Amino acid sequence: MYIALGIMLCGMLAGRLLRGRLRPEALRRWIFLAIMLLLFFLGIAVGGNAQLVRDLPHLGGAALALALGGIGGTLVCAVLLRRVFGGGRGDRPHGDGRPQGRDGAPA
Amino acid sequence: MSASLPILACFLAGLLLARFGLAPEALLRHDPTLPALWLLMALVGLSLGADRRLGEILRSLRPRVLLLPLGTTVGTFAGCALMSVFLVYSVADCLAVGAGFAYYSLSSVFITQYRGEELGTVALLANIFRELFTLIFTPLLVRLCGAPAPVMCGGASTMDTTLPVITRAAGTAWAFPAIVHAMVLDFSVPFWVTLFCGL
Repeated sequence: MYIALGIMLCGMLAGRLLRGRLRPEALRRWIFLAIMLLLFFLGIAVGGNAQLVRDLPHLGGAALALALGGIGGTLVCAVLLRRVFGGGRGDRPHGDGRPQGRDGAPA
Repeated sequence: MSASLPILACFLAGLLLARFGLAPEALLRHDPTLPALWLLMALVGLSLGADRRLGEILRSLRPRVLLLPLGTTVGTFAGCALMSVFLVYSVADCLAVGAGFAYYSLSSVFITQYRGEELGTVALLANIFRELFTLIFTPLLVRLCGAPAPVMCGGASTMDTTLPVITRAAGTAWAFPAIVHAMVLDFSVPFWVTLFCGL
């Protein structure tokens, strides 16, 4: 987990140094492709684990119920906190009340 | 949902390929998930560092960001306690599973040690489900429940696995609150799991 965080910090430094030469739209496209690649590999890891696949019908129901319970409770709190932090994509997370433009840029 | 569908399709394609023995042997032998995650993190870092608003975002962080992990903890525990009514496991066991906050590797190891393999496997699956749910439904969550929703839903995974999809759907302004959120939860996982397993 901390290696991943360290890699991100190095990427931030590189991004800072290359600022102006990188196109945000191209970066977003690469990020989306990398997310799809990660999910494909995750699918292979789950599907390739015979024990996990065998246990899924027995324990999966309870696990799914607990996951959905936790997610449901969290989403209720998230909706309540939406007023504090602002709601939509690109909104500032701190609800400072300043007008917003697209992608969080001040209007 | 338009962004979630290709992501879900990629996961299902990988799962089915591996399930029916069609996945390349090299991918099964050497798990490429971690290098793929590192590639993602490097790209997210690049996009954050190249963002001219980075300094402004850092300066604008307030203590109220701590409301995010607090809300995640309260909501998760309330939901899992409610689910314990319908399951064969005790309230404490259900809370221990929920206290993984999608940090499935650590929580399942802890729970297996304290409460046995069955609950450990449930914890592993439940927390994988939570992470997958966040990865797949983040764009939809932002639209329906607001930008804090995928951050809180992702639990302790929002500083690595789910961070890219969150910043893509909710905007880069949410990257640092997501990291702070995950760090607080990350440190709380061993505490909560040990507490609930000891009850």
